[in-house]
Amino acid sequence: MSEQRFKLHPVSAVVDFVKGLKDLIIPFLILFFANGFNVNFNPGDGSFWSNLVPIGILLLVILVGLINGIIKWWTFVYWFEEEELRVEYGLLVKKKRYIPFDRIQSFNYKEGIFHRLFGLVQVMVETAGSTNGKPEVILTAITKEAANKIELVTRKRNLEKQEIELRDESVVPVESTPKTARIIHKMNIKDLIILATTSSSMGVVIAGVAAVLSQFAEFIPFDWIFEEVSHFIKFGFVIVSLAIFVSFLFTWVVAVVITFINYYDFTVIEENERLTITRGLLEKKRVTIPLNRIQAIKIVENPLRQMFGFASVAVESASGGFGGEEKKITLFPLIGKKNLSNPLQDLFPQFEWQPTLTKPPKRAKHFFYRIDFIWLLPAIALCTYFWFPYGMLSVLIFIPVILIGLWQFKTTGFAINHNQLTIRYRIFSRVTFIVERKRIQALESRQSYFQKRKKITSLQVTVMSGLTGAKAKAPNLENGAAEDIMNWFEKPSM
Amino acid sequence: MRDQLIHQIPRKGLTVWRLYGLFNTLVVAVAMGVACFLTFHFDWPSFIFYIAIALALIVALTSIWLFPNIRWDHWRYEVREHEIEIQSGLFIVKRTLIPMVRVQHVDTSQGPILKKYDLANISISTAATTHIIPMLVTNDADSLRSRISILARVAEDDV
Repeated sequence: MSEQRFKLHPVSAVVDFVKGLKDLIIPFLILFFANGFNVNFNPGDGSFWSNLVPIGILLLVILVGLINGIIKWWTFVYWFEEEELRVEYGLLVKKKRYIPFDRIQSFNYKEGIFHRLFGLVQVMVETAGSTNGKPEVILTAITKEAANKIELVTRKRNLEKQEIELRDESVVPVESTPKTARIIHKMNIKDLIILATTSSSMGVVIAGVAAVLSQFAEFIPFDWIFEEVSHFIKFGFVIVSLAIFVSFLFTWVVAVVITFINYYDFTVIEENERLTITRGLLEKKRVTIPLNRIQAIKIVENPLRQMFGFASVAVESASGGFGGEEKKITLFPLIGKKNLSNPLQDLFPQFEWQPTLTKPPKRAKHFFYRIDFIWLLPAIALCTYFWFPYGMLSVLIFIPVILIGLWQFKTTGFAINHNQLTIRYRIFSRVTFIVERKRIQALESRQSYFQKRKKITSLQVTVMSGLTGAKAKAPNLENGAAEDIMNWFEKPSM
Repeated sequence: MRDQLIHQIPRKGLTVWRLYGLFNTLVVAVAMGVACFLTFHFDWPSFIFYIAIALALIVALTSIWLFPNIRWDHWRYEVREHEIEIQSGLFIVKRTLIPMVRVQHVDTSQGPILKKYDLANISISTAATTHIIPMLVTNDADSLRSRISILARVAEDDV
């Protein structure tokens, strides 16, 4: 058995170092602000040396980070032995990790700017066990050939094994599926622009722009602007609205740029029962999810997109993603509802995509907004008390709250089709949650005293996704309907 | 209408909940005492006295008497061959159904107070959730734990 040991590319030291620096930025800023910016470069001044202390500490930390990165690269080796991927690193404390090939679920790739300069790639090895959000092994930077080789070596053994198993069981003669990579979905420039325009992150961007502007508030000559503004008003509303339009345009451009950086060249490929998603402009990312690890499918339509007939589709997966909270993987960031059913039907033929939903009863209507009154009433009372005449206007908030509640009532519904449960609900965006019975971890019915009186029950399903799982709630159903779902779930799996 | 679940929490469990409520009340009472003292010392308006005393009384009444009673009344559980069903809740009655196949592991745990009363909590973990059946007599808890783990293993083989 060849036991040739492989090293990472030297750039990995730099990548690790830069990543460490990123974590340091916040403490560094705190240090800087605490110092009040008055760094003094005059050795004659008394405070010169005491000012130097934090900078010295900072330099030391950076140096340690750099040395750490170099040591990690220097000591890091990986090799293949006895059907295992083995990794070893560390100078004083040696860390070893052996992963059997057949435990490897998928490889995910990421190419940052440094990686792309040298034709390298970061490889994250995902196993079934790594539900805590972190990949089992991260190879910070290796050449693309090396990455291909790892995938080839591990995959080949697995495939051989599967074939042997198949022959042993001699079940249905599965025609050895040739490597047919099918492109399921690809986003073009137009899609990206619509995605940016209709994304709820527009709001975030507006907030971000506002925050940045307020940071520079000192440097903006407000007095002068106010003077100008009074001129503005003389010029009339045209110019004011023009200014507002320009700032919106600016926000929109920022949103588009961010979307392009994140989603450029978004492609979904299906190959050997695996989905591969590639995306990114500056930093290329590639995730692979085995289809059988997908726990549930979520179709989300925010109000704007619903209006124009667009939706986004995400899958909850037991493993995969880029570590961290990103257990929810976006399958289609934006897709026309008309084009939706074809690729989904293709990928998940076991599901029924247009089920007829059972709605909550009419008498459940007020449960959708009445609960909000609990916090609304004291809030309105306080507003009225403190800002007496005008505070009473806060009563008007009841109108949108009730309207949203009614909208939620109109959206809510569920359907059972054989082994599939579909739940549709709305908080603000309309969410359609589709799950198979065997993927449901727990089912919970909830009933308050008032709901009991009106014979109404809410229902909540939990599926595996990351550490805490993902939940979907069908609020305020008919008692009998909720019981039907419980009974459906209870039947021993067929 | 689905059937009412069979098993209830032992009566001793209610006593322990009351005890917890008592601790809770003590903490609140101390805080309120401090508030009263400060009010007295700094001559703050006297309505603070009334609010503090009323608050302490309400907390005592609810957390020692009312809430444990309601909670004990709502708590039910049943372990069947293919699933575990738990009913719990204070204002909202929750009824949870966990299939045996999904059970990953079962733990029992016992703090000093529970130990004194010979009680133990059982927690049932699936891949995504954890469910607790509290305040079972230690022997029952142990036997229930092993029963669940056997049932879970059988269910695993079935599939």
